[in-house]
Amino acid sequence: MISLSSPVKTKAHGWPAGAKLAGLCILSILLIAITSPLIHALFFSVVLFLYLLAGRIFFVSGIKKLFILWPFILIVSLWHLYNGQTAQGITIVLRLLSAVALANLVTMTTKLSDMIDVIHRLAKPLTFIGLKTQALEISIALVIRLTPELIAKGTALSQAWRARSPKRPNWKVVIPFIVVTLDDADHSAEALRARGGIQPTHKE
Amino acid sequence: MERNLTHIALFAALIAALGLIPRIELSFGIPITAQSLGIMLAGTILGAKRGALAVLLFLLLVAIGLPFLAGGRGGLGVFAGPTVGFLLGFPIAAFIIGLIVEKTRIGPIALTATLASIIGGIVVLYIVGIAGLAVKLDKSFADSAKLMYIFIPGDIIKAIIAGIITAAIAKARPASLLSKQ
Amino acid sequence: MSAQSENNKSQLHNNISCDALTYEIDGKNILNKISLETTVNRLGVVGRNGSGKSTFVRLLTGLIAPSSGKISINGIDLHKDRKSALREVGILFQNADHQIIFPTVIEEIEFGLKQLGHTKTQANAHALATLELFKKPHWKEAYCAQLSQGQKHLLCLMSIVAMAPKIIILDEPFAGLDIPTKMQLNKYLALYEGSIIHITHDPKDIEDYDTTVWIDEGAIKSLGETKEILPDYLHHMNRLGQSDDITELSR
Ligand SMILES: Nc1ncnc2c1ncn2[C@@H]1O[C@H](COP(=O)(O)OP(=O)(O)OP(=O)(O)O)[C@@H](O)[C@H]1O
Ligand SMILES: [Mg+2]
Repeated sequence: MISLSSPVKTKAHGWPAGAKLAGLCILSILLIAITSPLIHALFFSVVLFLYLLAGRIFFVSGIKKLFILWPFILIVSLWHLYNGQTAQGITIVLRLLSAVALANLVTMTTKLSDMIDVIHRLAKPLTFIGLKTQALEISIALVIRLTPELIAKGTALSQAWRARSPKRPNWKVVIPFIVVTLDDADHSAEALRARGGIQPTHKE
Repeated sequence: MERNLTHIALFAALIAALGLIPRIELSFGIPITAQSLGIMLAGTILGAKRGALAVLLFLLLVAIGLPFLAGGRGGLGVFAGPTVGFLLGFPIAAFIIGLIVEKTRIGPIALTATLASIIGGIVVLYIVGIAGLAVKLDKSFADSAKLMYIFIPGDIIKAIIAGIITAAIAKARPASLLSKQ
Repeated sequence: MSAQSENNKSQLHNNISCDALTYEIDGKNILNKISLETTVNRLGVVGRNGSGKSTFVRLLTGLIAPSSGKISINGIDLHKDRKSALREVGILFQNADHQIIFPTVIEEIEFGLKQLGHTKTQANAHALATLELFKKPHWKEAYCAQLSQGQKHLLCLMSIVAMAPKIIILDEPFAGLDIPTKMQLNKYLALYEGSIIHITHDPKDIEDYDTTVWIDEGAIKSLGETKEILPDYLHHMNRLGQSDDITELSR
């Protein structure tokens, strides 16, 4: 399974994931507090500079990820140009760009396995309110394992449809797709049970 | 226990897969991403609690960097973006849809599931989603709502489809319709 | 003979006991009052499609509970006692994709070991040793989804062998595999120290086995030495195959 972690290895990949996430939280809150467009411009430049530190390929792929924001940026820009509150418009747009770019930066520089470790550490204290860490662990693994397989089955179903129909598959293929999913769930439940299932007291 | 867990996990995977398989066409030729259909079905098929957990699990995996959102998006960035309200609204929507299906004892399942999907998957989801949009874009709720009107017809069609599919599943795999167990 | 090998030998003979074992779905008896008592070392299971073989071994493994009657291995009810079940039996499903739970090979093998109560480090070391045993150390970080069908079957086998249950049950795990892959998997199995129960439609798989049970329409048709049961079974199957009566198609 491909995660969004960058294929380019950066120094930041070695930093502890927990620290990066904590930093992201603090900076995101800071971004809300700042109202001056000038400071926002400075902030965004620094974020872009961070991307540049990791090299050109990393920078380009980082910028590309911001493109999905264009409809919102367009709307906000037009709105504030029309209203004449340009400074406020710039603040909103830059704040949005910085927040998303920073969050993406953490995702791009953190391995999936490190993220999962953080989740396990965060989940530990929750065992007191009844969360089963083992169940969470298995659930995450199952989704990562079975999503590609479900996509393959969904694609195969669409192809089976097309092989016997001149039209493109319509929503009706979702029905067999869900039946397949539900049957897979039963099979996995049995596989889990065959190897001991979810245990009430699990040793770490 | 195992069966609950695997149904939750498989539905999280299903929601991801529905957003990623080549687009399916509605009968009128409008291509849709089926991801929000997956949210509705999580509620109608798994019920309130398991449906919401499936969606939460899906979001957790998106957050840690798996490209599971429609169009292959994911990572922490999507939670910093303007549509964060809709993401947070997903599990709430699934919960309410599931609750309505669980509690309604009369009428055909297709109708119940469609109405539940409209209430949870459109009314509630849009309220939370638009509130998020308003905060992120620093606009009033009413102004932000205007941006979303064009999506309503498509979502109503999805709610109807969710109803029909739920009824089909009730027939094909009655034991797997956990919302009605 | 030393006490050690004496002990091993007694382990090789695991006791299976069924008493009026019945399993029904929607009022239909899939298995009908099966009673048997046997010790197994290498047990072959044959029978037509839909005769109830898979259902029988799922009961045996304790994955499902009988509708009535009793079934036990070495005197233990495996449906109730799941903890012991892990040490008594491991099962290989027909479809490897239904069995694999984890994204990577190492996690898949470690899982069963952790379920047995090993710590993380122990499980990891043991899983690596198992990969080494099967000469596949390079599979460690491989994604299960990227393995071929035969490789997936080998992974399932490794995961079960690592847990070292007293009995390994195989539910037609080799259907659809190419000849060399199948021969290799059979070779690994021949070396297994515990007992093996093997459902198959290919008589070659079990011709060396000491015992065979033939299940037909939810009941035991015969149980005994393989060299006696197998020819009889094959004769019967060939006759059915040659008849022109289409109603003899598997129900
Ligand atoms: N979930 C189910 N619902 C209804 N009937 C079932 C179910 N599972 C199995 N059966 C029926 O039980 C009977 C025995 O099935 P089983 O899978 O044990 O056969 P088998 O001997 O393993 O066959 P094969 O050689 O094809 O694998 C069959 O007639 C089958 O139709
Ligand atoms: Mg079978």
